[in-house]
Amino acid sequence: MSRWRYFFKRLVLMVPVLFLVMTLIFVALRMGPLDPVAAILGPEGTGGDAQAIRESLGLDQPLWQQYVEFIIGLLTFNFGQSWVIQPGRTVTELVGIYGPRTLWLGFWSILLPLFVGIPLGFYAGLNPNSWGDYVASFGGIVWLAMPNFWLAIMLLAVLRQTAGGAGPLGFDWYTFGPNVESLIGTPPLDFLGTTWGSLGPLPIPTGFDPDLGELLVAIKVILPPALVLGSASMAAELRIGRTAFLETINSNYVETARAKGLSGRVIVWKHVFRNALIPLVPIITNEAILLIGGSVIVETIFGINGLGALFFNAAVQADLPLAGALIFIFTIITIGLNIVQDLLYTILDPRVGYDQQ
Amino acid sequence: MAVEQTAERTGTREEPIVTVRNLQTAFFTDKEVIRAVDGVNFEIVPGETVGIVGESGSGKSVTARSIMGLVDSPGRILEGSSVRFHHTDTVREFADRFPGRTVDLAAVAEGRDPEALFAHDAVGATPSAFGYDDASEASVADFVAAGYGEALGIDPEDCVFITEGTVDDPLDGFVEITRLSGESQRAMRGGRIAMVFQDPLTSLNPVYTVGNQIEEALELHRDLSGREATREAIDLLEAVGIPDARRRVNEYPHQFSGGMRQRAVIAMALACDPEVLICDEPTTALDVTIQAQILELLADLQTDRDLGIMFITHDMGVIADVSDRVNVMYAGEVVESAAVEPLFAQPRHPYTRGLLESIPGRQEGGRLQTIEGTVPTPNEPATYCRFAPRCPERFEPCDEVHPVSVPVNDEDGDHTAACLLYPEDEPREAAVSSHEARDDSVREQGGERR
Repeated sequence: MSRWRYFFKRLVLMVPVLFLVMTLIFVALRMGPLDPVAAILGPEGTGGDAQAIRESLGLDQPLWQQYVEFIIGLLTFNFGQSWVIQPGRTVTELVGIYGPRTLWLGFWSILLPLFVGIPLGFYAGLNPNSWGDYVASFGGIVWLAMPNFWLAIMLLAVLRQTAGGAGPLGFDWYTFGPNVESLIGTPPLDFLGTTWGSLGPLPIPTGFDPDLGELLVAIKVILPPALVLGSASMAAELRIGRTAFLETINSNYVETARAKGLSGRVIVWKHVFRNALIPLVPIITNEAILLIGGSVIVETIFGINGLGALFFNAAVQADLPLAGALIFIFTIITIGLNIVQDLLYTILDPRVGYDQQ
Repeated sequence: MAVEQTAERTGTREEPIVTVRNLQTAFFTDKEVIRAVDGVNFEIVPGETVGIVGESGSGKSVTARSIMGLVDSPGRILEGSSVRFHHTDTVREFADRFPGRTVDLAAVAEGRDPEALFAHDAVGATPSAFGYDDASEASVADFVAAGYGEALGIDPEDCVFITEGTVDDPLDGFVEITRLSGESQRAMRGGRIAMVFQDPLTSLNPVYTVGNQIEEALELHRDLSGREATREAIDLLEAVGIPDARRRVNEYPHQFSGGMRQRAVIAMALACDPEVLICDEPTTALDVTIQAQILELLADLQTDRDLGIMFITHDMGVIADVSDRVNVMYAGEVVESAAVEPLFAQPRHPYTRGLLESIPGRQEGGRLQTIEGTVPTPNEPATYCRFAPRCPERFEPCDEVHPVSVPVNDEDGDHTAACLLYPEDEPREAAVSSHEARDDSVREQGGERR
């Protein structure tokens, strides 16, 4: 099957991309303006102290040797220790603490547009120039036009006003569903009740004790920031979804399907839906990449200590191993999502990888 | 009366399976009402091909789509239009599947006097509007066809009419296609009347195999599924001349060439063994050698299956090749109708003559003739000849009198043209005033003609 060969080819092509990225990270960190020795030492160090730190960090070795060690470190997920932010803790440990929060936020901010934006877009495309279409399309443009930071602050202001049942119809966000004490803050993520064992260097979960109440709190806390973070992609997916649906529904093969006597439901779900999804695949995966990387502002406003905030601090404070490792992790996520995109394409569209030979 | 009508149809020529009477389809926009099809009459006969020819914008495709029930909002078929499907097996099946929607016309006619029906308040028609000299010649079916059924309390929502026999044992009757909706419409579409579209490159869904798309029709109309359906799909692909059908059935449309795709589309249309095949410019997007192959295939399939074919094209050469009878359309109306030989030998309507003169290679030397101008958008009721502005033989009344179809003097009795020049043996003034009188009576028939 040529489709799957195409997919495999794409998979193999990711390897040089990965090496290129690792090299660029190394170059940027070692040759960039950041000086970790100065950052660790502060303004009062002596030349001898500086030399000692340089030696302990391995910065006195030849560059090629540093490069090889760096690459091996990345590939074995042995990122070393943080130099500045939390000296003495390994990067893996820090990512283990900060990562799930960002993933939780990213997950919901992808899910919301996926299950709100696309259905609305499809509805608008199925009923073009109806009132529903106008409301959805206009709402999409307004939603898209509101910048994240502004929307975040407005949402916080509105939700804050509902404290003590002051909202419309006595609505109170704080007591709506599970109680929460604050609008901002890091969501509690121990709802799975996971107990950890270890398999060599990698921690693996050995048992779960899910707590539904905790889960609801975690969802409730993440909803406002996820809504803000996902708003732009929700609007984009709505608009692209509308166009895709409209275009497909007016295509000749849908006409043929109607002439065959198929019912409207079969036509929409079998003939229209799958074709309309094809242009949406890159939109969804690209949004996902942006959401995982670009959440610094929203994390800051909502007081969530996630990877975005961690990376920002690491870069500003010249914590080279931490910053480098985070870039590497973002790269892996990006490459992974690209593979998911290729996989979706391969499944959805039989024309993928077909060249007339 | 209904019985008489049936008796009338049993002639030597095979009876039509589809009769289109006064078909009017209009598109309602904020600005205007576009009468894409404006009072078209013709028949489709089993085993014969009726050609519809005309320039772009003459209403050919909308006619086809009206028969298929594929006219989308803001367009709709106006009251007073009638497309009847005469096929006893279908009537029997539909009477069985949709019992509440069946009308026994003989029973309804019982105790109803057509003269009294003309006098009914809701009826604004006269006997001459139905083409009769005397009120007693009209049948209840005529009133139903003209859209008065509901007002007369005969058919609130019905679609199947029995003209002979009873509801439980229908011997003859017809399905009124313009009144179908929902499930009954889908059963007719694809199951009884199938359609082949213009562009084979885009009329197959790119993400499903050709076999899947044929099997889907088989499952819907013939209750075949799984292996059985696949075997049938392979047989169909072989029947339309696709080599190595066993392998091809699992391939995607993009792996087929243009001609092969059109064959696959034809196989799909034939999947449910339809009585009538509507071909909307099926060869326009193909190159000439492939075009010839597809036309030959259609001719073979027609002989094998006794198909009634309605063939739409703007290519006079193709129409001469495939048709038994030709209807020339202009701005939503049929302007000339004849068997194929007399039409090409003695075209009567100035428009038909113009079309024939603009075929390359038919004139001796000199430049290729063209018809100046373009087809007007029919956005108002015709009170004049719509071809007059482009007509070389135009004379004064053309701007004031709307011509109706009249027989032209020909050995072929079925040759008609809608032009004030005819009938030729009458003096001009008499011909014009007879057109005027008959057009008025058609208008009087009411319905939604506005």
